[in-house]
Amino acid sequence: MCDHHDILKSNNKDLQSVEKQIDRRYFLKKTSLGLGALALGSLLNTEKAWSSIGTPESTEAILANYNKNRLGLPHHLPKAKRIIYLFQSGGPSQMDLFDYKPKLVDMFGQDLPKSVIGGQRLTGMSGSQSTLPIAPSLFKFKQYGESRTWVSELMPHLSEVVDDLCFMKGMQTDQINHTPAITFFQTGHQLPGRPSIGSWLSYGLGSDNENLPTFITLVSKNGKGQPLKASLWGNGFLPTEHQGVQFRSGKDPVLYLNNPDNYDGNDRKKMLDYLDKLNTIQHDAYGDPEIQARMAQYEMAYKMQTSVPEVTDTSDEPDHIFEMYGKDSRDPGTYAANCLMARKLLEKGVKFVQLYHQGWDQHIFCPGGLRNQCQKTDQGTAALIKDLKQRGMLDDTLVIWGGEFGRTVYSQGQLTDQNYGRDHHPKAFTMWMAGAGVKPGFSYGETDDFSYNVTKDPLHVHDFHATLLHLFGIDHERLTFKHQGRRYRLTDVHGHVVKDLLT
Amino acid sequence: MNETTDFILFLGRFHPLVVHLPIGFLFFAFLLELYGKWKNTPALTAAIPLALLSGVISAAVACILGYMLSLGGDYSESTLDIHFWFGIATTIITFLAWLIRVEKINISKPNSIKSNISLLTLIVVLLSITGHYGGNLTHGSDYLTKYAPFGKVKKQALAPLAKVEDANIYSYLVNPILENKCTSCHNTDKKKGGLMLHDSISILKGGKNGEVLIAGNASKSELIRRVLLEPHHDDFMPPEGKTPLTEEEITILSYWIDNANADFNSNVGTVKTPETVLEIASNMLGLGEKEKGEIDLPTMGAIDDVVLNDILSEGFNLRELVYESNLYEVLLPPNTIIESNTNQLDVKLQKLSKIKDHILWLYIEDNLLNDSHMKVINQFQNLQKIVISKNHITDAGISEIKNLSNLSSINLYKTAISKKSLDYFSKMKNLKKVYAWQTNISEKDLETSKSERFFEVIVKP
Repeated sequence: MCDHHDILKSNNKDLQSVEKQIDRRYFLKKTSLGLGALALGSLLNTEKAWSSIGTPESTEAILANYNKNRLGLPHHLPKAKRIIYLFQSGGPSQMDLFDYKPKLVDMFGQDLPKSVIGGQRLTGMSGSQSTLPIAPSLFKFKQYGESRTWVSELMPHLSEVVDDLCFMKGMQTDQINHTPAITFFQTGHQLPGRPSIGSWLSYGLGSDNENLPTFITLVSKNGKGQPLKASLWGNGFLPTEHQGVQFRSGKDPVLYLNNPDNYDGNDRKKMLDYLDKLNTIQHDAYGDPEIQARMAQYEMAYKMQTSVPEVTDTSDEPDHIFEMYGKDSRDPGTYAANCLMARKLLEKGVKFVQLYHQGWDQHIFCPGGLRNQCQKTDQGTAALIKDLKQRGMLDDTLVIWGGEFGRTVYSQGQLTDQNYGRDHHPKAFTMWMAGAGVKPGFSYGETDDFSYNVTKDPLHVHDFHATLLHLFGIDHERLTFKHQGRRYRLTDVHGHVVKDLLT
Repeated sequence: MNETTDFILFLGRFHPLVVHLPIGFLFFAFLLELYGKWKNTPALTAAIPLALLSGVISAAVACILGYMLSLGGDYSESTLDIHFWFGIATTIITFLAWLIRVEKINISKPNSIKSNISLLTLIVVLLSITGHYGGNLTHGSDYLTKYAPFGKVKKQALAPLAKVEDANIYSYLVNPILENKCTSCHNTDKKKGGLMLHDSISILKGGKNGEVLIAGNASKSELIRRVLLEPHHDDFMPPEGKTPLTEEEITILSYWIDNANADFNSNVGTVKTPETVLEIASNMLGLGEKEKGEIDLPTMGAIDDVVLNDILSEGFNLRELVYESNLYEVLLPPNTIIESNTNQLDVKLQKLSKIKDHILWLYIEDNLLNDSHMKVINQFQNLQKIVISKNHITDAGISEIKNLSNLSSINLYKTAISKKSLDYFSKMKNLKKVYAWQTNISEKDLETSKSERFFEVIVKP
């Protein structure tokens, strides 16, 4: 291949004949796209529609336009510019952690009244139990901070920062099983295939650092439980470059970044430029957006060769930072280490860091399981809040903590003095947010004495999504993408911004 | 015309259906004529008399049905007259054309070819005119050209409002709803049920069944009763196939009738207006209610492209904070300025100051910024947030920017400021947060005059 050939054509006769062909599928695609473009031209202001087809834009014009968002975003002044979502996969038990229910102690072992259940269909795991014995929490609760927030003894570190947190105690979801519930939380729909929150934000707001992905997922290695899958950070029908990039939990977050032996990498840029040329020709011929996505990803991978080692290197962190995050933080891939990495990624301009920690699914041995989980996560979470705050980053960073649903007040399996299990519970659970634009030291929503039904200010997953987008300056009803003949939103046809949560 | 029997109207409603038969037949006759001549295919020309005869018969039926429909009296008379007479003319001319074609009327041979083609052309023209007026009767006279890309007549726009309270209820809220959902059938050309809803006089006049409004009593008013009926009810408005009114729209109409006594001059501010109505009205007028605690955003014109490019080429990242507000977040990536190019920072800031009022958030972290640069930053009067952590800034630098009165958050983590800066901060009226971890301000410094301080200083987590 030589540089002076503007258009790359094959010298081989057979290949030339192939080049001349356009197969049926692409013919239909191209012609229908062409018609679509014409129709679009008539719909839009004609002047604007034709100008883009005329002379190619000069680089200056592109430069000048680059700071204008093509989607007309943000709709209003944002409060948040980045976000860490600490997803506690499995469904943490709200009444053992935050939702203090002292009256339950007197009801130990009593059958949960039918009136409380209200005809709700239980899961197959506990629905067939002959009794549903009430299991009060084994853990002591105390009030902390100026906000006098109740927190259980399981979270000694988090209790130090309650005045920065905004609790949502009336969370509700539609799903009672893990996969649909997590999918619902991350994409707004229980079936896989819709774009995740991070993809919507990436699509809507673009990147703040060209050298790193906009949306990065970290799964901690010291949590085991229900499996997670890539569709949770998938782009759905949005362009592929908006999908979340998963960093591996371990010493090498991204594999194959180092050059192979005996290769110095000097001509890689040149190689990629040529590849880009080929891909551009292919894209001009077929107009397939996946080709563009591929070009963007090659470019990103190249940039990540330098940017990733830089950002994942924690050697310049002082000891007191490691101490704050706990001893786990020196072990790459743990929850605490991921919290620290998340902060570093945000500092570099990554917009959305999604952390997953599995293992909150305490069907049996709930007290022991929770102790174990909290020991692994409590210090890292609290340290992250403190660390962001002292650096001033909490001002424009949104931190979210929560699982896909809560757990039942009754014991799944046998209830003893020292042990109980808890089943999935979608009708009431607790989450918290902190940082940009949310009220610090605040609690929203209340549950009944059983932490079973929401009695005041319920907050549905769709409302949570609407509020999240609102904090980023997005009207959730106006960020849409047309796919298969209709426009989709993260909140689809639901959702209300909960203004009471906002500063 | 009230004595028109239902049966006549029943037949009349077949007019829009039957009317398309002659249109098809006659256009096809015209095509046969053209194509037959062009390709010289007598077999095709032979079919023309049949097409014409079918056209005559169906046109005649359509005329009769059309007359029956017109007896209902739902249409404006001037347009109806034109449509009526053109329809009849088309039928008669078609009849003539058929007569000539089958040689019931003899015209000498050489002329007959010309007369055939010219008569058919005339028929097509007549058909088009009749059809057009018919369309105007059914869909309204602006239906055809409403979305045309050319010659769009700008509708007289209502003056934009500063607040909801100033809105005239009828012209800003009620009329747009009626225009959107009702007037396509209730206008001067097409007055279904004798009702027109396009202006105040006709609204007050009502329709065939009497008045549509009872001031102060929305639930008894026909206008509201009809839209609240069960959707399959015969009287439900808008009729099947049209978009029904939304709850918000009904709320507004009821509010106008109940609270404003259906007065055409009342403003939102002058009548009792419930919270929900205010909210709907603000949404309709695009006056989103202002969120509490939100500082008014300054209104700024667009920045010249040359200036913008200049700033971008200096390495600043710009992001518009609200679309088309021309207000920006500006960020200089950390370590853009290092020991070897310190002198460039002055130039960069000078260039940035060309858009000084456009900057709301400014990030110049870890870029060897020092006290001498703060004078430039003090010009950025609209700044709400500034992040200048990890720089060589001392109290002297802070004293330079104490006049930034819109600043609500300042990040000075890892700078050299001390206790003295607290006094300067208290000059910044809107300040809420000062991030001062790893500076010379200690927790002890914050103990004094703590109660008077209106902003929070974060020195440790």
